[in-house]
Amino acid sequence: MDKTSEEASSKGKKRQRDQQPTDPQTNQPHHQIFSLEDNLSFTDTLVALRMMRAQFPRIDKVSIQPFILRSQLYSSVKDRTQVDRELESLRREKVVRIFKLNTGQDDHAIMFLDDYLNQMENVVKRLEEKEGDQVFKWFRTHVIDSKLEPSIEHQELYTLLSLGGMVKDGHISLLINAGLLLIDPNMYWFAIPNIGSVLKGLSQGRKEVLSFLNRRRYKEMMLASMEKKCLRFSPLDMRFHLRDLIGSGHLKTVQTSTGLLVRVSKD
Amino acid sequence: MWKEIGDRERGILRPKSFTTRIKSNRIRTLQISNHKDIVSPHRASINSLQVDLTEGRYLLSGAADASAAVYDVQRATDYEGGGLIAKHKCLFVVDKQHEHGHKYAISSAIWYPVDTGLFITGSHDHHINVWDTNTTQVVMNFKMPGKVYRTAMSSLATTHMLIAAGTEDVQVRLCDIASGAFSHTLSGHRDGVMTVEWSTSSEWVLVTGGCDGAIRFWDIRRAGCFLVLDQSHSQLGRRPTIPEHSATNKALTSKSLSSGQNLNAKPRAQQRKLANGNGTKQSPVGRMPAKGSLRQRLHPGMLSSLDRATAHYGAVTGLKATEDGMYLLSAGSDSRLRLWDVESGCNTLVNFETVRLQAGKPIQLATSQDSALVFVPCMTAVKAFDVWSGNTSQTFRGHYEYVNSCWFSSQEQELYTGGNDKQILVWSPPRLIADEGDEGPAQDRDNWSD
Repeated sequence: MDKTSEEASSKGKKRQRDQQPTDPQTNQPHHQIFSLEDNLSFTDTLVALRMMRAQFPRIDKVSIQPFILRSQLYSSVKDRTQVDRELESLRREKVVRIFKLNTGQDDHAIMFLDDYLNQMENVVKRLEEKEGDQVFKWFRTHVIDSKLEPSIEHQELYTLLSLGGMVKDGHISLLINAGLLLIDPNMYWFAIPNIGSVLKGLSQGRKEVLSFLNRRRYKEMMLASMEKKCLRFSPLDMRFHLRDLIGSGHLKTVQTSTGLLVRVSKD
Repeated sequence: MWKEIGDRERGILRPKSFTTRIKSNRIRTLQISNHKDIVSPHRASINSLQVDLTEGRYLLSGAADASAAVYDVQRATDYEGGGLIAKHKCLFVVDKQHEHGHKYAISSAIWYPVDTGLFITGSHDHHINVWDTNTTQVVMNFKMPGKVYRTAMSSLATTHMLIAAGTEDVQVRLCDIASGAFSHTLSGHRDGVMTVEWSTSSEWVLVTGGCDGAIRFWDIRRAGCFLVLDQSHSQLGRRPTIPEHSATNKALTSKSLSSGQNLNAKPRAQQRKLANGNGTKQSPVGRMPAKGSLRQRLHPGMLSSLDRATAHYGAVTGLKATEDGMYLLSAGSDSRLRLWDVESGCNTLVNFETVRLQAGKPIQLATSQDSALVFVPCMTAVKAFDVWSGNTSQTFRGHYEYVNSCWFSSQEQELYTGGNDKQILVWSPPRLIADEGDEGPAQDRDNWSD
């Protein structure tokens, strides 16, 4: 994979903006303030996470907090081992949480802990369960706080929830119905609630981008012109998908005299 | 090069570093060999390659058409191209026609570690055959309950000669050549066992990787496995950092060691506050009161079978221990390659850039001498990764189809790879044509007359 990403030339200017967690107002698909070409690589995982969180596309139909895919991080920071290790330390410090997604092999979504808790709050409010209210509180205070891995065993979940009070099987079903847990034989995976449609858009968008490039004669296109294209099947923008596909190895970038070129990698 | 020899003479450069330097320079220039070729008689994909450990001279290959062949990689059988290309034909082949040969594919062919008088083949016809090399006769035969995926013998063993066999059955069996019977049955895996490797630091420790994604370490002198690798236990760096205070240390170590034992104590601890680091559970068997528990009384060694930690999200398809026995590389069908610190049982989080790895078959990884590079068959290419940083150092493209196994010979600095295209390719540092000595072969063909 001969990926030659360039450092952001105006990095100094960009640094100030990543302290703002809020989305810039004029971030619309056609008038990108932050073009992907300038923003393709970062020096540090936390900087990359914050920048990508700020650039998360706004989806109208679903209210979802920003999340970042692991493959996007790999495309942004040069040294993958450094990314893994920094993510691990951020996870241990409870700054971010990592979730395993079921879209394809080894997909992980990274979300800042505050965003995740906000997302949980929004979902719980909408559920309006009277009896089950406590479960969500117990879940938040006991389970999320102490179990940092993306999965949890049945026994351990039971024990941790019991620290809050008497747990019945119905409570765990409530958690599953809310979308906070996904059941797997013998264990549960933590999940981001309300994310189903976005994940569908993610896989469809990936296929769309790859098929678009595969249909072209030489299976390549300039990054600048790719960014301007609109995706029909995905609510997430082109930049999100490009970062993800470059990081997972399906696309590679080649430096040319007129800018970066995106090409389908044959491997 | 001459300066280095001079330095070595004067004692400025130590002999070991001199050899290591030359060897690593040669490894860096590995390419498809321009002077050596192995002629493979196999008519199906090659599943296993091994050069013998005593002399480094004989290459044993096992293929899917139930044939196993031995080649001499140091002496060519004949020369071609005016003496420039050495052809190595096989010294002998044993295949289906042999009266005691295998009926289905051979998945693993290994040499007896002590000398080249015996070799062992394991096949999908549920048998493991021990062959006498000189007479090419089967001297011993073991019947397994399922297809044999991998066989391994310890190269360090001085007191036992056990063949570890990983089959599609959940139990790993150890076969004893001396007695002709099974000496151990190791239970703990939940699905077939695709890879088995003996530890390079202890003759009693066996590492197995299963289709359930778990990697287990077994000490064959005790019951049960003593370590199950968990991919969520990770450490940042080659060795774990020294903890600031002992409570954290206890929590970390007790977590990994007693995660299997904790599960039994959990139903009893429901009403109690959970304190992770409050001393390891010393006698888990004693802690299981007969209080209406449906769990049987398990032997302490069998408690590890309750530990469901996985090392990979898919099956574990390849294992390789480094020569010093401190680290273990594992490849999985989730297309990830992981480096584990054996002592602490943690994932060192080194990220190897593998896009896709073959999923259905076990693959054979190879490490270069002093384990700085690992050669991994990635689909149709073989990639060499730097073990500590995970960067791709070289890519070897030459096979037409998926590569199944590779073996690195540190004596010659040559890499042998075998794949589904029935070829065994040799990758070696380039040899300058002038090295052959005589300029004779390059004749002037225009200079002729009737």
